[in-house]
Amino acid sequence: MTETIQSPARTDGQQIETIEVSKFARFKSVGITVVNLTIFFTIWELVARAEVINSLFFPRATDMFAALFNGFADGTIWPQLSHSLTNFLIGLAISAVIGIPVGLLMGASKVADLILSPYVWAMTSLPRVALIPLLILIMGFGNSMQLTIIVLSAVFPIMVNCMAGVKTVEPSLVRAGVVFGASRPQIYLKVILPYTLPFVISGVNQGIARGLVGMLIGELLGGGGNGLGFLLDRAGEQFDAPMLYATLILLAVMSVGLVQAMRWLEQRAAPWRDISRA
Amino acid sequence: MGQVEARSAPGAQHAADERPSEPALIEAAHVTAGYDNRREHTRLIALRDVSLQVRRGEFLAIVGPSGCGKTTFINLIAGFVKPLEGSVRVRGEEVTGPGADRAMVFQDYALLPWRTVERNIRFAMENRRGHVPKAEQAERAARALRLVGLTGFEKSYPHELSGGMRQRVGIARALVTEPEILLMDEPFGAVDAMTREAMQAELEKIIAETRQTVVFITHSIDEAILLADRIVVISKRPGTIREVIDVDLPRPRFDEQSDVQRSPRFGEIRSHLWSLLADEALGAKQEGATR
Ligand SMILES: Nc1ncnc2c1ncn2[C@@H]1O[C@H](COP(=O)(O)OP(=O)(O)OP(=O)(O)O)[C@@H](O)[C@H]1O
Ligand SMILES: [Mg+2]
Repeated sequence: MTETIQSPARTDGQQIETIEVSKFARFKSVGITVVNLTIFFTIWELVARAEVINSLFFPRATDMFAALFNGFADGTIWPQLSHSLTNFLIGLAISAVIGIPVGLLMGASKVADLILSPYVWAMTSLPRVALIPLLILIMGFGNSMQLTIIVLSAVFPIMVNCMAGVKTVEPSLVRAGVVFGASRPQIYLKVILPYTLPFVISGVNQGIARGLVGMLIGELLGGGGNGLGFLLDRAGEQFDAPMLYATLILLAVMSVGLVQAMRWLEQRAAPWRDISRA
Repeated sequence: MGQVEARSAPGAQHAADERPSEPALIEAAHVTAGYDNRREHTRLIALRDVSLQVRRGEFLAIVGPSGCGKTTFINLIAGFVKPLEGSVRVRGEEVTGPGADRAMVFQDYALLPWRTVERNIRFAMENRRGHVPKAEQAERAARALRLVGLTGFEKSYPHELSGGMRQRVGIARALVTEPEILLMDEPFGAVDAMTREAMQAELEKIIAETRQTVVFITHSIDEAILLADRIVVISKRPGTIREVIDVDLPRPRFDEQSDVQRSPRFGEIRSHLWSLLADEALGAKQEGATR
């Protein structure tokens, strides 16, 4: 978004020129996306109208949009969507609050790493579904069980990434910190944390992906009777293909939205990473 | 291993007659340093029995083949590496860690990538040790940038600069704290010949003004002769001092009139250094062949 660049007096005679950046440049990618989606849904509609596939499994795009619209209009979708979204965001927040400090600690302290890493790695690789029966046993079918599975899904990738970030800090940067008088806390604050920030963000990104899976598992298998997972389940039982597809679209929009939000955050938080590429 | 000057291994008696009134600013006595490999239970000896004194205000250059322990030596003075044997003292006190009296220019720049040029330089002034009042920081940073010829790049990030420019930021960061001792690890390695000469001249001017003590690693023989009061030649690993050469050329050496580079004395020192280093390179090759 460099519309104009001031040309300061540079001592080594490097020439900085002002460049024009088209105001439409940023709308170009939006335009392409719009066209792309239009074509996608048109083909969907045409294929469905041709009835190559049983409409029980493959409804028309227009029916899907109608189901989406009606669902919002008659209040069947919104409570479930807001239930899922709220649950998910709370779960993600809890995961970040636990995962980031613990991960940083594991990266910074060998002892903490030795003690915690067997559990962390076991939990990172264990399929989340395996925990459902136990969680139902402990917490029943309530909301706390759904929340717990989200946290258990999201917290470990966040932890592991934060740990990796601290461990890969360039030693010469830490040395520069020491040479130029930084105390231990200052080294953490001014060198290790900023260096780790991109890792934290990519950890949260993975946490989002895993957390969404956890959320759906909890809602599908937990039998709590709410959330987008419940909508999916019920639409399936009722052979309501348009509603099924509408829910899937909602899920896709939700996850893409979250990932985009993180990307935006990443560019804010770590602008030094690739200014030229943006 | 050729002739070794008495100065390369100063005994107590020799140290006494060198500067009887003033003790050496930096003194390494019989220092052996190395790195342990815990996995393979081995220890790599990088430097063996190195004894050396650096006087206050002296410009000492270190040359030697790659991997001979030059960076290790500078890290010993900086306090990053502890000697396995012997001791390193600054002002008579054993070095136990880094201090505000010693600043470093790193071989790999070591700039903070998330900070602009100006804020990288301020980093040296804003920490607990060597803290400079906020009001003074901007002015000092600007002066340091002017010194290294980077005015106008205050708001650039390190990744937007060339290697040579990054190194100049590293130099400005080291100069801005006005340390007593300046440790420079191949500071002009990534700079083109013309810029290099300009920066060498600039460094000579700065040092003449600040009277700083400099320990300077370089791969360039000419650079060592042009800048240094004394040159230490280190042999291939494990590094020992091969010879210490006095550079008795008049200063300033980058003056328009003074044509130091074409003086016969310059040529003498140069060819002497060449033969020393060629010996080292040859020795390394032969050793490799017999293995
Ligand atoms: N952190 C380390 N761990 C293990 N070995 C090391 C470490 N740093 C240096 N060494 C080894 O010690 C020896 C001396 O290294 P040093 O960096 O001091 O060499 P140098 O003279 O600075 O070389 P160059 O001119 O290539 O920079 C080398 O063989 C190197 O492999
Ligand atoms: Mg080196």
